[in-house]
Parts: sequence; structure tokens; C-alpha cells
Amino acid sequence: MSGFILCALDKEAKLGVVDALLLAIIGIVIVFIVLIALMLLVSLVGKIFDGSEKLQKEHPEWGEKIASCKAKLMFWKKEKPEEAAPVEEAPKELAKGTCGELTLINCEERDAAMIMAIVADSLNTPLNELRFKSIKRVEE
Amino acid sequence: MNIGEILKNLWNDSGYNLFGVGDGWKSLLMIIIALFFLYLGIKKKFEPLLLVGIAFGMLLTNLPGGEMYHPDMWTGADAVAGGVNYLDVLQHGGLLDILYIGVKTGVYPCLIFMGVGAMTDFGPMLSRPSSLILGAAAQGGIYLVFILAAATGAFTGGEAASISIIAGADGPTAIFLTKTLAPQLLAPIAVAAYSYMALIPLLQPPFMKMLTTKKERMTVMTATRKVSKKEKIIFPILVTIVVSLLLPSVAPLLGCLMFGNLLKECGVTERLSDTAQNALMNIVTLFLGISVGATAVGATFLTTKTLLIIVLGLAGFVLATICGLLIGKLLYVISKGKINPLIGSAGVSAVPMAARVSNTVGLQYNKGNYLLMHAMGPNVAGVIGSAVAAGFLLAVFGA
Repeated sequence: MSGFILCALDKEAKLGVVDALLLAIIGIVIVFIVLIALMLLVSLVGKIFDGSEKLQKEHPEWGEKIASCKAKLMFWKKEKPEEAAPVEEAPKELAKGTCGELTLINCEERDAAMIMAIVADSLNTPLNELRFKSIKRVEE
Repeated sequence: MNIGEILKNLWNDSGYNLFGVGDGWKSLLMIIIALFFLYLGIKKKFEPLLLVGIAFGMLLTNLPGGEMYHPDMWTGADAVAGGVNYLDVLQHGGLLDILYIGVKTGVYPCLIFMGVGAMTDFGPMLSRPSSLILGAAAQGGIYLVFILAAATGAFTGGEAASISIIAGADGPTAIFLTKTLAPQLLAPIAVAAYSYMALIPLLQPPFMKMLTTKKERMTVMTATRKVSKKEKIIFPILVTIVVSLLLPSVAPLLGCLMFGNLLKECGVTERLSDTAQNALMNIVTLFLGISVGATAVGATFLTTKTLLIIVLGLAGFVLATICGLLIGKLLYVISKGKINPLIGSAGVSAVPMAARVSNTVGLQYNKGNYLLMHAMGPNVAGVIGSAVAAGFLLAVFGA
């Protein structure tokens, strides 16, 4: 039983209109309280994230300081990443029918997918018959 | 035994003969209703994924002599007094009895909610938190129907609460609440909830046009802030903790919704998210539809209560739409014309139909004014709102 409701009602008993009205008022008030509380929490979390992004933009040097602090912590944990032995990655096996890997440079996967679809459409060639090596965003 | 006796016994045992015995005619009528629902689902595409299953379950359960579902095991005097004997169900129950265990225990609605969570993007709501107020406002329909149901004098408190949740336009929540408070009304409530959800594109627009001015409908809403991935990950965890601590009775439902959403947003459980929103969702939808339909047994379905539930359910959808629109108008005034009140009607939680209706009506008055993303905020907030409303009713009547 919820802490809000002090006594539970008998679900098998018939309910008077006045009781129903009272319960309805309490019910809708609780719905509003819960959702307004969520609204405030969501706004607060949003403001915190927006604020931290803004701070990072205004003070890029803080990012460097944080990075150096992290590096120091790594040193104390004796997990210096630069000293770690480079591990050679085994070449990935390609799936059947694939045309190989595509390198994306400053380009999101969604945009790349759209570009490839447009190219395939304008060339009137199925996408699996085309080979894209890389897609790079050109900064103006 | 001669051939004549064999044929006579065969006839006596056949369903055709049983239609004429006792309440057999009710089964025949239910089969006709099931065929009508199959027509609505297949031909008219009214929520086909569930309505086809519900209609076929209805058909199976009303075939005399099939013994696929035994209402006495679930809502009989023994079950009401001493609880359901699950061992008896497993030993002597029919196929639909066994599938119904998932409904009775509340497993199916929760798993459906997990899939819904994995398919839902709360981004539009997070970018405009005031959407939550519209999601809360539309729940006014639930409580207004609760008062109406009590006023009829035909229903107990638990039944009135179960009927009222139809106005939340949220099938799993309606089933979750009804299986606890009024299992004998599960079939009419589920059928009403899903049928009206399918009718939202017809039900809402007249009231949207009636309650808003042309100027309000033409309001163009500006783009909202971009929501970071971290916010989307924090949100389901936050909601689960905040709401479940306040209303523990709704924790299974809301917890599953938020768990599904976390699987989608966290980015490291893509396979699980994919399973929740596709394979698992489809399997549970199959079982849920057919076992809910199975509860529509002629003897208990064809009553005046069912007719009242259909009428109250319709009233609930209309009232929920009106409540959402009125608060939408209030936000239009408060925001000095920046919020289009049409998105208020999307506060009913039929995702994404209600949001699509807001978008369609908006486009009719201002071509190029796409309200879909703005309406998705109140729409997903409505899912949380109806779960909270159900949690309150469970806390009051479910002890």
C-alpha cells in the first residue's frame, strides 16, 4: 500500500458518488504532483548538462586540466595507457556480400547512409553493387 | 452399440448441438461478434496486431465443447475465496487457461511495456519538459469516468477503477489494473480499450476543432533544445526510482517500461533492445491477444455491464481528449502563443496515434507546420501519466 493512501478501500463494495469524487480529486492531484516533480527533475538535469557544455565551450583549458588529472590518477593506479603494449588487432572477417569497410571522417553514420542511398538512387545502381571507401565532411 | 447410437452420441457431443443447450445461443452470438472483430482487424486495420488475436481467442473460447478456457478456474467462487489454484490450472486447464496465466500474473502487460519502452524515444519530452503537464492533464478523463462509473451504481469500486483506466488509452495498463481489480471484466475492458485506441483518428479531430480557434491551430512551434545521450540514459533510472518509491504498486509496469527504454538508450545492449522491441514483443502480443479474447465467454460477456463499459470507455476517450486540449489552451496563453494547443490531445497515451492526429489536424490549417515531434512529448508523458493513475487506483483498491 502506498504511503499516500492511509486506508485501502474494499474493491468489492459499491462506491458512492461523493467518495468517487473525493478519490478522483486526490488521484488527479497525485498524477499532477508526480509529473510536475518529474518535469522539475528533467529540467534540472537538462540545465546541468547544458551548463556543463557551456562551461566547456567557455573554458576549454578546464578540459585539459581534467584530462591531466585523469592521467595522474592513471599513474597512481599504475595503468599508464601510453606504456601499454600495443595490441595488434586481428583483421575482421567481412560478412558475405559486403563491399568492405567504409571510413567516416567527421561524418555521422546516419548522414553517410543517406549519402550512399542518394548516390545509389541517382546512379540507378543497387547499393550492394557500389563500393564506398570513405565519406568525409568538407568544412567550408 | 449400433451405428445409430454412435451417430446420435456424435451429434450430442458436437458443438452444433451444444449451441441449442442452455446458454449455447450466447456462444453463437459471441462467435458472430468475434467474426465482426476479425473483420475490423483484418479489413479495417483497427489495431490488427492485437484485435485479430483477441477476436480469434474470443472465437476459440466460445466453441462449445472445446474446453480451451474455464472461467471458473479464474473467477469462480473458489478462485475468488481462496485464490487461483495454479496447479489445477496446469493439470486440468485448457490451452487458453495456461496462456492466461501470463495475464493473471501480470507478466504479459509488463513484457509488452518493456517492448514499448525499447521502442519509445523520450527525447521530445525531455527537450520540452512542460509536455509532462499535458500528459498529466489528459489523465483527467480517467477520473471523470471513474466518477461516472460510480454514479451508474452498477459497478463496485474495483470495477469502476478498471473501467476508468480505459480513458488512459493504454492497453497494457488497462489489462494490468483490471486483472487485479476486476478480472471478470477483463474482456470487455480490453476490447473497449483497444477498439477505441484504433478509433482515435476518428474520435479526436471533431473535439480538437471544436475547442480550439483557427489561430491557435495554426501556431508554429519552434525547435526545442537538443537532448544529450546522458540525459536519455539518466531519465529511465530517475523515473523508476521517483515514481516507484511513491507508488510501489506500479513498479512492475513502469519498471519494465523504463528498463526497455534504458536498453535502447544505453547503447551497450543493442541485442537486448532489439529482442525486447521485436521478437519478445511479438510473442507476448500473440499470447496476450488470444488469452484476453478467451475471457470473452458468452455467459459473462453479453450483459448490460458490457454495454455500459463500451459507453463509459467512449466517454473516457472524449473526456481525456478534452482535458488535454483545455490544458493545451492554458499553456498556449501562458507561453504567449508558443505552444500549439493541438498537442494537448496527444496527452492520451495511445502512442503514436494521438501524436499523429495532432500533426494531421495541424497540417490541415497550416501546411508545413509539422507538430509530430512536439506532440510526441505529451504522448509519451501520457504513458507515464496513465501508469501513475493506475498505480494510485491499485494502491486504493488493490490491497
